[in-house]
Amino acid sequence: MKGQIKNTLKGLMVDFLFWLYLFGCLYYLLHNNWGWTVRNKFILITAMFFTGLFFLIGDSLGRKSFLPTASTNRKWSHSVWGWLLVIVLIVTFLVGWNIVEVNPYKFFTKFRNAGGITSGIFDPSIVGYQLSNQSLEELKLDGVDQEILEKLSGIIGKRYNTRKVCRDDLKRILDEEEFRIYGEILLSKTEKNMTMLNQALTALAETIFLALLATIFAIPFAFILSFFAARNLMPHTFLGNSVYIIIRTIATIFRSIEAIVWAIIFSVWVGIGPFAGMLALMIHSIAALTKLYSEQIENIDHGPVEAIKATGASTIQTWIFAVIPQIISPYLAFTIYRWDINVRMATIVGFVGGGGIGLLLMQQQQLLRWHNVGLIIWLIAAVVWTMDMISAKVRTKLTSM
Amino acid sequence: MSYLLEIRELHKIYEGGTHALKGIDLNVRKGEFLILLGLSGSGKSTLLRCINRLIETSSGEIIFDGKNVLQMKGRNLRYIRRQIGMIFQQFNLIKNLSTLTNVLTGKLGYVNTIHSLGFRRCRSDVAAAEKNLERVGLLEFRMKKTRNLSGGQQQRVAIARALMQNPRLILADEPVASLDPATADSVMRYLGELNKKDNITVVCSLHFLSLARKYGSRVVALKDGEIVFDGLPSEINEQKFKDIYGEEAEEVEIR
Ligand SMILES: Nc1ncnc2c1ncn2[C@@H]1O[C@H](COP(=O)(O)OP(=O)(O)OP(=O)(O)O)[C@@H](O)[C@H]1O
Ligand SMILES: [Mg+2]
Repeated sequence: MKGQIKNTLKGLMVDFLFWLYLFGCLYYLLHNNWGWTVRNKFILITAMFFTGLFFLIGDSLGRKSFLPTASTNRKWSHSVWGWLLVIVLIVTFLVGWNIVEVNPYKFFTKFRNAGGITSGIFDPSIVGYQLSNQSLEELKLDGVDQEILEKLSGIIGKRYNTRKVCRDDLKRILDEEEFRIYGEILLSKTEKNMTMLNQALTALAETIFLALLATIFAIPFAFILSFFAARNLMPHTFLGNSVYIIIRTIATIFRSIEAIVWAIIFSVWVGIGPFAGMLALMIHSIAALTKLYSEQIENIDHGPVEAIKATGASTIQTWIFAVIPQIISPYLAFTIYRWDINVRMATIVGFVGGGGIGLLLMQQQQLLRWHNVGLIIWLIAAVVWTMDMISAKVRTKLTSM
Repeated sequence: MSYLLEIRELHKIYEGGTHALKGIDLNVRKGEFLILLGLSGSGKSTLLRCINRLIETSSGEIIFDGKNVLQMKGRNLRYIRRQIGMIFQQFNLIKNLSTLTNVLTGKLGYVNTIHSLGFRRCRSDVAAAEKNLERVGLLEFRMKKTRNLSGGQQQRVAIARALMQNPRLILADEPVASLDPATADSVMRYLGELNKKDNITVVCSLHFLSLARKYGSRVVALKDGEIVFDGLPSEINEQKFKDIYGEEAEEVEIR
C-alpha cells in the first residue's frame, strides 16, 4: 500500500516534469520565432492539467515507469506514452536547432568569408619577399626621383608573402607611369625573407620540446603513484583502501580538468610562455598516465607476484621483480602515446598563453596574415602526422615484445 | 616429536562466504613426501596457500619448525617464507626475464631490499643459481627468456628457483597438472630427488593416483575442506578411492 502511494507520487512527478519541459520548450520556440508571450503561471497550470489528465487516462510516461497499466504495456507505437516520447524528442531537437542557431543558408552562402584562410592554406607563405634598404640605396645612385624614393621608404623591409602581392602593393603606391619605368627593376631587386619560416620552426621546436619535457616530468610522478592506485597491489586494509581511493579520485578530478584550463591558471602563475604550457600539460599527463599505468598494473598476471612473495621477498622487492618486468613495455608504449597527445595539446594550450606554435598561430590569425597561418597549419600537420606514425610504429614494436 | 609442520583446527572462510577449510588437523614430519589428493574445489590450494600465508586464515594454528606462522609479521614472516619453497601449476615465472634472473629471484628473501634495488648480483648467488640450473639440466638456457621455454622446462626453472631458497619445505600446488604424462613424471622425479637427497620435506597436491603411489610417502585426501583419508599410498583401495572422489569415479591410470 505504501509502495503504491510512493509509486503514484513518483509517476506524477515524472509526468509533471515531462509536461513542464514540453510546454517550456514549445513556449521557447513560439517566443523565439514569432514573439509570443505567455505568463509563466499559465505554463505551470497547463502542465498540471495535462499531468492529471493523462495520469487518469492511465497511459503516460510516469505510468509507464512506475505504475504500469494494461495500456502502457502495449508496444510503444500503439500507446500514448510512446508517441509522447517521440514528440518530446522532436521538440528537443527543434529547441536545440534554435539555441545553436543552426543556419544552413549561412553555411553554403558565406563560404567567401573563409576565402582568406582557405587561400592561406593553399598558398602558405614559406618564403617571403621584401625590398631591402640596400636596394633603395642603389636606386638613389641610379638617380631616381626623390619623390619616388620617399614613396618607397614606407615599404622598405615590409615582408610580402609572394612577388605578386609585392607587385600589387607597388602598383598601389606608384602611379602608372612610375610603375612602368621602375616596377620591374624594383621587383628584381626584392630579396627573400625567411623570418616567418624561421619563427614558425622555432615555435614548433618549442612546442615539441615543451610536450617532451611535460611527458618526461610526468613519468616519475605517475610511475610511483600508479602503484598506489592499483587495486591489486593495495592491501585491503583501511590505510590501503584510503590511499587507493584518494589517489584515484585526485587523478580523476585532475584529468577531467582540461589542459587548457591548467594553461590559463599557469599562464597567470608563471607568466605567458612555454613554461606555463609545460606545467599545464605535465599536470594533465600525470593524472592521465597514473590512470593508464595503474590499469596496466591491475591487468598483470598475479601468479609471478604470488611466487615472488612466497620466496620471502619484501613488498618493494615483489613490485620490482614481479610487477615492473610485466608492465615496462606497456608503460613505454603509453608514454610515447602521451607525448604524441601532448604535442597536439601543446598547440591548443599555446592559444591561451602556453607559448610555442599555438601562440604564434593565434597572433598571426589576429593579424589576419592568412598566408602565415597557412604555413603554420601545414607545419603543425606535418609534425602531428610524423609523431603519429612514429609512435604507432614504436607501440606495435613494444606491445609485440 | 619432530614435526616440521603442525596444523591445528585450521579454518578458512573466503570473503564470499565459501567455507573452504573446515578444521584441518595435520602434522608433517621432516623428510616426508606428502601428497594431497582431492577433487577440484576440495581446498588443496587453499590449504597450501595458508601455510606460507599467501592468503590469510580465518582461525586455527600453523606451527612451522616450532614457530607460530600466523603470528608472524613483516621481517619474521619473510624469514619463515624463505624457508618454504613454492611451486605452482602455472609455473609463475616472470616470462620476460632470463632463466638465470628468474632463478636468482629465489634469493630475494635473503637480500636486503635496498640492496636489490640496484639489480646487482652477488657473485656467489649467481654461482649457486647456475649450480641449481645445472641440477635441473637447464644450464644452457640460462640467458634465454623463460617465455621461450617449454612447460616442463619452465617448471624445472621454478624448482631451481625454489632451491635457491635453501628450503626446508617445498609446497607444490599441482606442479604437473598442465604437463604431458612423460614430462609430468620427469618433473616429479626432480621433486622426489630433492626429497631423498637434500632431505627437503615436500607437500604436493596432485590429481594422479599413479604419481601419488610412485613418489608419495604419505597421502592425505581432502573432501569439501575436511580430511577424509590419511595414510600410506598403498592403502588406497577401490573403496577409499570412491570415498575421496565420489561413487561414480573410476581410476584412470596414467603411466
Ligand atoms: N579467492 C577465492 N575467493 C573465494 N572463494 C575461493 C577463492 N579461492 C578458492 N575459493 C573457493 O574455495 C574452495 C576451495 O578451492 P581451492 O582452490 O582450494 O580448491 P582446490 O582443491 O585447489 O581445487 P583445484 O583442484 O581445482 O585446484 C572452492 O569452493 C573455491 O570456489
Ligand atoms: Mg588448486
